Amino acid sequence: MSRLAEWARRYGALIRNAWLVDLQYRASIVLWIIWGVTEPTIALGIWWAIAGDGQVGGYARADFARYFFALMLVNQLTIAWDSWYLDRWIREGDLNYRLARPLHPAHEAVADNIAYKARSAGVILVVWLVAALVWPAVRLPLAPGRWALTALAVVLAAAMRFFISFATGLLAFWTTRATAIMGLHGGVALFLSGRIAPLALLPPAVAGVAAVLWFPYMLAFPVNLLTGSVHGTAALLHGFAGQIVWLALWVGAYRLAWTRGLRRYGAVGG
Amino acid sequence: MERWEGEQIAEWGVRNAEFAMQGRVRTLRIPHSALRILAALWRLNLAEELQYRANFVASVLGTLFWIGTALLTLALFFRHTTRLGGWDYWEVVVLLGVFNALTGVIEAVLRPGIGRLAGEVRSGGLDLVLAKPVDAQGFVSFRRLDVWRLTDFVLGLGLAGYALSRLGRVPGLLQLAAFVVALAAAGIVVYAIWVALMSLAFWFVSVENLSVLFDAVYEGARYPVTAYPGALRFVFVYLLPIAWTTTIPASALTGRLGPEIALAAAAVAALAFVLARLFWRAALRRYTGASG
Repeated sequence: MSRLAEWARRYGALIRNAWLVDLQYRASIVLWIIWGVTEPTIALGIWWAIAGDGQVGGYARADFARYFFALMLVNQLTIAWDSWYLDRWIREGDLNYRLARPLHPAHEAVADNIAYKARSAGVILVVWLVAALVWPAVRLPLAPGRWALTALAVVLAAAMRFFISFATGLLAFWTTRATAIMGLHGGVALFLSGRIAPLALLPPAVAGVAAVLWFPYMLAFPVNLLTGSVHGTAALLHGFAGQIVWLALWVGAYRLAWTRGLRRYGAVGG
Repeated sequence: MERWEGEQIAEWGVRNAEFAMQGRVRTLRIPHSALRILAALWRLNLAEELQYRANFVASVLGTLFWIGTALLTLALFFRHTTRLGGWDYWEVVVLLGVFNALTGVIEAVLRPGIGRLAGEVRSGGLDLVLAKPVDAQGFVSFRRLDVWRLTDFVLGLGLAGYALSRLGRVPGLLQLAAFVVALAAAGIVVYAIWVALMSLAFWFVSVENLSVLFDAVYEGARYPVTAYPGALRFVFVYLLPIAWTTTIPASALTGRLGPEIALAAAAVAALAFVLARLFWRAALRRYTGASG
C-alpha cells in the first residue's frame, strides 16, 4: 500500500471515530454553536444600532450583517479547542496511552477538528442559507473564484489556530495555567482578529499593531475575502503571505514546545 | 482505577445514608440547621481556599484584564457614536461595573455550586445530595464559596462608583437604597436563570456543558438593553430577563429610573424565584438516579 493510501485509511478511521463520539454528544455541540453565535450576534446588534441609517467607517447596516455572518461561519471553521484537551491530557496523564500509540497524538486532534467543524459549520451554513432566503442583506454574490480563495484562506487560518492552540496547550508541561494563557490570547484576539469589529474600525495605532502580528490572518483576512472587501492582487498576496509566514512560525513554536515538553514530562497515573 | 472509584462511591453512599438517618433526627430539633450547614460549608471552603493564595493574585489579574477588554470594547463603540441606546459612555461603564459585580457572585457561588449539577445528574452523583437531610436545591446551589472570585464583585462595584463620580452624580439615600434592592433582585434573577437552565439537565442527560448556555445568554447583559433591536430587547426583558440584572440596577444608581423601579425589580425577582423553584421541582421528579 502506498504511503498516501495508508494515511488516507488512518485519517478515515480517526475521523469516523471522532464523528461517532461527537454524535453521542450532539446536544453539547449545539450548545457550543449557540455560544459561538451569540457573541457575533450581540456585536452585530450594537453596530446595527450605532450605524443607524448612515455609515460607520464605510460600513452600513447591511455590511455589518454580512461581516458578522461571515465571521460566525469562519470562526466555527477555524476554532480550535485543543489547548483545553492537551491541558487535561497532560495534567491527568491521558497523554500516556496516546504516546504509546504508533501515531502522533496530533493526528487524533486534527481528525477531531475536522469532524467537529464539519458538523458545527454545517449547522451555521444551514442557518445562514435560511436567513439569506428572508433577508437580502446577508446574501453573497455567486462568485466561485472568491469562494475558492476563501476556502484556501480558511484552511490556512484553521491550521494556524490549531497550532496556536496546540502549542499553548503544551505549556501545561510547565504550568497549570495553560488554558488561562489561551484565554488571554482570546481576549487580545477579540480586538486584533476582528471579532468585535471589522479591523477598519479600530484606531489606526491598534490596527497597526494587529498588522504586524498573526491575529488578522486567523480570522479577519478570510472573513474579508468572503465578504469581498479584499481589493487588488497586492492585498490578496499580502494576506496569503502573512498567513503562510505565521503558520510556519507557529508550527516551529509547536515543535519546540513538543520536544522540550516531552523531555520534561514525568507521566502521571497509570 | 475505575473499580476503586466504584468502591469509594459505594462507601460514601453507606456513610451518607447513616448521616441522613442521624440528620433527620437532628433537623427536627434545630430549625435553623440550614443556616448552620451553610456556615459550616463556607467555613470549610474558606479554609481550603486560603491554602491557594496565588489564586487570589491570578483572580485579581484576570478580573483587571477582562474589565480592561470590556472598557476597550466600549471605547471602540464610542469612537463611532456618542450614545449607546441613549446612554452615554460613563453610564454604560456604571452598567459594566454592575455586570462585573454579578459576575463575581456567579463565579464565586453559582458556577462552582449549581453549575456542577449537569455532570452530577449524568454520573448519579446527585444521589449523594438527595440522601442528605437538607433541601436539595439549597444545598446544590450554595454548597461552595470560591472566595477569591468575590474580587470581581468588589472591583465591579468600585468601577461603578468611579464611573458615577465621572458622571458627576452623587446618588441620594433613596437612590442608593433602590440600587441595593435592584442589585439584590438582579442576583436573585441570575440565580433563577441558573436554576432553570440547570434543571434542563434532567431532560438532556448527556449535556454536561449546560452552563455554556448561561454564558451565551448573559453576554447580552453587557450593554444597556435599549441598545438592541426591538426583537432582541423583548427577549431580554420578558423571556430571558437579563435586562433586570444589569440595565435596571445601573439605571437605579444613575437616576435614569426613579427609585420606585426597585419595587418592580423585587417583584420580578420574586416571580423568577418562584418559577425557577417550581421548574426545579418538576425536573427533580424525573430523576431516577444512576448510581444505584
